[in-house]
Order: sequence, then C-alpha cells, then structure tokens
Amino acid sequence: MVRFEIKKIFSKTVNKIALIILAVVVCVESHLAISSVLYVDENGDTITGIFAAQPLREAKMQWSGYITEDILSKVVEENALINNSEEYLSNDVKENNKAFSKKQGFSDIRNIINRAFCGFRQYDYYRIDSISGDEVRSFYERRISNLIEWINSDEATNHFSDKEKLFLTGQYNKLETPLYYEYFGGWDALLEKASAIIMLLVLITGFLVSGIFSDEIQLKADSIFFSTRLGRTKAVSAKIGAGFIIISSIYWITILLYSGIVLTVLGFEGADCAIQIGSSNWKSFYNITYFQDYLLTVFGGYIGSLFILTLSMFVSAKTRSSVLAVTIPFILIFIPSFLSGISALSEVLGLLPDQLLQMCKSVQLFNTYQIGNKVVGAVPIILVAYLILYCILVPVLYRVYKKTEVK
Amino acid sequence: MKLVLDNLTKEFGDFTAVDHINLSMTNGVYGLLGVNGAGKTTLMRMLCTLLKPTSGNIYCNGKDIFKMDSQYRNLLGYLPQDFGFYPEFTVKDYLFYISTIKGIRPVVAKKRTNELIKKVGLTKVANKKLKKLSGGMKRRAGIAQAMLNNPKILILDEPTAGLDPNERIRFRNLISELSEERMVLLSTHIVSDVEYIANEILLMKEGTIVNEGTLEEIINSMPEKVWNCLVPQSMVSTLTEKYKVSNMKAYHHEVELRIISAEKPCETAVYAPPTLEDVFLYYFGEKVGDENGEI
Repeated sequence: MVRFEIKKIFSKTVNKIALIILAVVVCVESHLAISSVLYVDENGDTITGIFAAQPLREAKMQWSGYITEDILSKVVEENALINNSEEYLSNDVKENNKAFSKKQGFSDIRNIINRAFCGFRQYDYYRIDSISGDEVRSFYERRISNLIEWINSDEATNHFSDKEKLFLTGQYNKLETPLYYEYFGGWDALLEKASAIIMLLVLITGFLVSGIFSDEIQLKADSIFFSTRLGRTKAVSAKIGAGFIIISSIYWITILLYSGIVLTVLGFEGADCAIQIGSSNWKSFYNITYFQDYLLTVFGGYIGSLFILTLSMFVSAKTRSSVLAVTIPFILIFIPSFLSGISALSEVLGLLPDQLLQMCKSVQLFNTYQIGNKVVGAVPIILVAYLILYCILVPVLYRVYKKTEVK
Repeated sequence: MKLVLDNLTKEFGDFTAVDHINLSMTNGVYGLLGVNGAGKTTLMRMLCTLLKPTSGNIYCNGKDIFKMDSQYRNLLGYLPQDFGFYPEFTVKDYLFYISTIKGIRPVVAKKRTNELIKKVGLTKVANKKLKKLSGGMKRRAGIAQAMLNNPKILILDEPTAGLDPNERIRFRNLISELSEERMVLLSTHIVSDVEYIANEILLMKEGTIVNEGTLEEIINSMPEKVWNCLVPQSMVSTLTEKYKVSNMKAYHHEVELRIISAEKPCETAVYAPPTLEDVFLYYFGEKVGDENGEI
C-alpha cells in the first residue's frame, strides 16, 4: 500500500522536477562549501576549493594542540613578527598576500583572540596587532568578563533574569580550558552551508508531500478510496507512512551526500574540538564539540523537517488543497526571518520551528528560557517540544483524514 | 443480503437533499431514476459511508453500516458518477492498488485483476496509462475496480453517463452479467438503462422516493393515461400548455403528440399503452410555461 502511495507521488511531473532541483541544489551547495576555502601560497597567489584544502590543512595542523597561554603569546609574537616584515609593510598587494600566507596557519586562533579582546558585540580584525604577549594571557578570563559586562549592560540587563545571567556565566565557566585546537575547516564549511541546504530541502520536499492527501480529492478519487474496506484505516496510515518515508529518505540521502562530499574533500579533522575555537561560535554558551554541533544540526533539521512537512500534510488533509499545504514550509521559514528585526519578539522567534532547521546558528544565539527554577537554552527546548508536537500531529492527521466526508 | 434505510435524511444547511427515506432492498437490480439534483448521488454516498446522514439509519442485515465500518465496506463495490483515477497509473497498477486498499491478498488480487480485465474487455490496454484511455474504457476500469472484492452490494452512480450508444449497451449488458447473487443499485436519469436491466425501479424526486416497484407495477400505478393525437399545428401550443407532452412528431401540416392526461385531451386522441418514459415524464416532466421544470 505504501509502495503505491510513493508511486503516486513520484508519478507527478512536478515532483520529478522537484527532485531534479534538489539534486542540483546538493551539487551547488557542496560546490559553494568547498569553494569557500581559500589558501594563499608563499608566492601570494590565491587558490580556492579542493586545491586549497590540503595546503591550508597542513598549515593549520602545525598549530594543533591546546591553546595555552604560551601558545597565545606565540601567536601574538608571530603575528607581530610578520607585521614587521618587508612583505607586510610593502605597498604591493602581492607582497602583502605573501605576508598573509604566513598567518594562515594560526588565523583561527588569531580570530578568537580578536573576539576575546574586542567588546562583546564588536569585532576588530586588527585588534591582535595591539595586544602584547603578556596581555593575551588573560584570553580565557576576557571571554567571561566580556559576557558579564554585556549581560549587565543597558542593552541586555533587562533581557535576562538574574537566574538567566547566572546560568550564562555558569555555562561560560564550565567551558573546559585551555581549548584544544586542530584544523576544523571541513566541519566549519559543512555547518556554514548546512542551514541553507536543510531549508531548501524542506521547501522542495514540501512539493512532494503536499499532495499526498489532497490529491485524492482533487483527482476525485476520494469516493472510491473511502468506500474501500481499508480506505479509512490502513490506507490512511499508508499515506502517513509514505510521507514519513519520503521526508526521511530524501532528508538523510541529501544530508549524508552533502556531508560526505564536503568532509571527504575538506577533511574530517577537528570533530572533537570545542565549537568555541571557531570565530563565529566563540561566544556560544553551548559547550559542545564540532561533531556534536553537526549532530544537533542534522537531527534538529530532521525533527524540524518532520514537523513542518507533517504540518503541511495536515493542512493538505484538512483544507483539501495542495496549494495551501505547499505554502506552509514557506510561511514557517520566511516569516520569522522578516520578524527577526523586532527585538521584542526574539524570545518567541527563538522557539519557532525554523530554528530547528538552523541549529548551528541557534547555538550562537543567547535565547534562554526560565522554566520554574531551571534555566535552559532554546536548543534543548525546541528539540524536545517539536518532537512531542510531531508525535501528537501524526494521530491528529490520521483522525482528520479518516473522518473526511465526500460532499 | 438486506439493506434497510430507516427515515434517512441528509441536510446541507437549509437544503434537504434526502428527505426521510424508508426503503428495503435485497438481492437484485434496483434502478434509481430521477432528474439531476433529485438527491440520488447524496443517497448513494450515504450508502457508501462517504457521507453521514443528518438523521436516520442504514442497516445491513440488521446492523448499522456506520458501526460496521470496514466490515460493511468489505461487502461494497462503488462506481461514482465522477470517476476519478490516478492518471499515471496503468490499468493493472490501478486495479492492484484498489485491491490493496480493499484488503485483498496480493495473490488473489493478481488473479482477480486479470479475470476482471478480461471480463470488461481491457486486455489490450491493461498496461496502458489510465490517462490514455477513452471515456468508455475508463468506465470499464471503474466497474472492474468496483467488482474486485466480489461485492455483495454494488452501487453504480450514473454508470452510463457520457457514453456513446454502443458503449452504453455494452455497459448495460455487463452490469446485467455482474448482477447475479448481489444487490445492485443503479442510479441514472437515462430511462432506457433501468427499463432494460432493473428488477425494481425507484423514482426519486426532491429527496424522496415517490414511487417504487417493478417496471409493470410502476407503469400500471400511473394515475393518468397516455394519448396519441394528430392535431393541426395551430393547436400545439394550447395542448402543450395544458398537458404534459412526452413526444412530439411533426408532419406536413399536422403534429403527432403523445400526451399524458387523465382526460381525453382532444377529439382525435387515441389511448396508447404507457411506457416508463411516460411515467418518468409524469413525475418529473413539465408543461410549457411551468416555472419549476425539472427536465
């Protein structure tokens, strides 16, 4: 029965086109992720993509190890040394590139030093140039003091309760230091484009599943369907099952293919490093590794896809319109983006299902919620809440379609 | 097999589509005759559990069909008026799929599908997509799906609508062939369909059954008589305004009218034996100038 339901879906021309578009999206996104890697060689020439990955990896691997105070001082000194070199001081861009080439190995550590020594909401690429070898030793303390300064500032003080402030400081203190560093370019590039690919996946899969229920009615095949022995029982389950299989298989095939391509080309190293070694994750209060961030991103994305697309199927069953159903993923993904500028809505927006599709971005946000005496981040809340909502939605969808009347 | 309709009513807002119908049906072919909008389709949809009645019940061998649920639908074969299908499915795929949702085991389904494809004359197009079949062929695929579970109750809603005369005759014969040992309810507004194959005729008007019986009983129960009269052209408008006219045939200066009337409509009128078409016209027809004509 499920086989026939899947056959019905893939026999539609629009769905075949959607699958082709998805295949193109995977190729384009993989290419973009890989080509985002840049390496400047010792001659000052820029290489991108596959050919850049290996030399960049080798340059960065030389700095593998714990980011101790000595290493931080070494980075500052090395940076100062390069800044005083002829290449760096030259007016020739090519010469400047040669200087930059020498900084690539420690560029990740350089970036987080900049983060630590700027204000909490600021970033100055050249901040390291004015830091001394002794000053940089307060690197880890600066991370915590910056947070405390920010949460007590006019901008944020009313946004967090005392308990939430305590929670955030506690999370910062819990981060195991010194951080361990190794090349993590593969995971970084993978996660950078993961949100876009998951969102596109949901939008495209929306076209496939939006007609599962309403097509029976639109094709006027509902009279026969509901007058059969299993038409109001197993046949409805088969439709839900077909939706689940399509959502799951397309999601995992796409994600694993994309992850496989990017990591194979850019490297699997850095999986066990804390996400805080990445400049964009430096402020995150989630103390997780890159691999855990990846798992959160893909499983969060999966729960989000299941919820949003099952909701789309529910609208299809309830309204008998696949057009309305196909708009659901668009509404749930794009409306929060339009509202994100309104700071008063930030707490609500942090709990919307689109956040599940961009978990690697959610872990960078300061969305905390106080439930009774306990303070938790948005990530665990939305993971659990939408999994529960999905589990509730499935039997509701079953009941709604089972009770359909043919008028 | 006995199907009993007890005070069956279906309302859509202010409109009553089926109005307190009481009826009992057993094996045999029942022809449900009525004009468009008489409530035939609504009645059939309730019999197929597609619509719940506003009030009243339908019993199958004494049990409420909505409580029997899938047990009742296991006895049912249904060909709706607007027969929808999956355009990209082949005839075979389609019949296999319907077999599956009818709960027929795959081995039996395969055998039954092949038998029915042969019986309805679709062997040559069995592997063709449904969207490529003619209207008549699609209807035949429709009757085949209705017969897959060898139903004890076969409900056919306007099965011959839109078919050419050849296809209609073929389809009528097929229904007669399939009607053995089961209850067939055939809804139509084409009088000849029920005249040929129905054992019992139900006349439906404005949501109620206005008359029921065998062809003979229905014809004999008509309270008015049928008259043939040859009249000059000038009298036609007077007569059509006054009486229901079931047929009109023009000659050079005269017109032959077939009039339904209790009294002799004119001096030249000759009594004629009534047909089902006359009965149909008696119940559903109009006189010239009637504001609420149904045909």
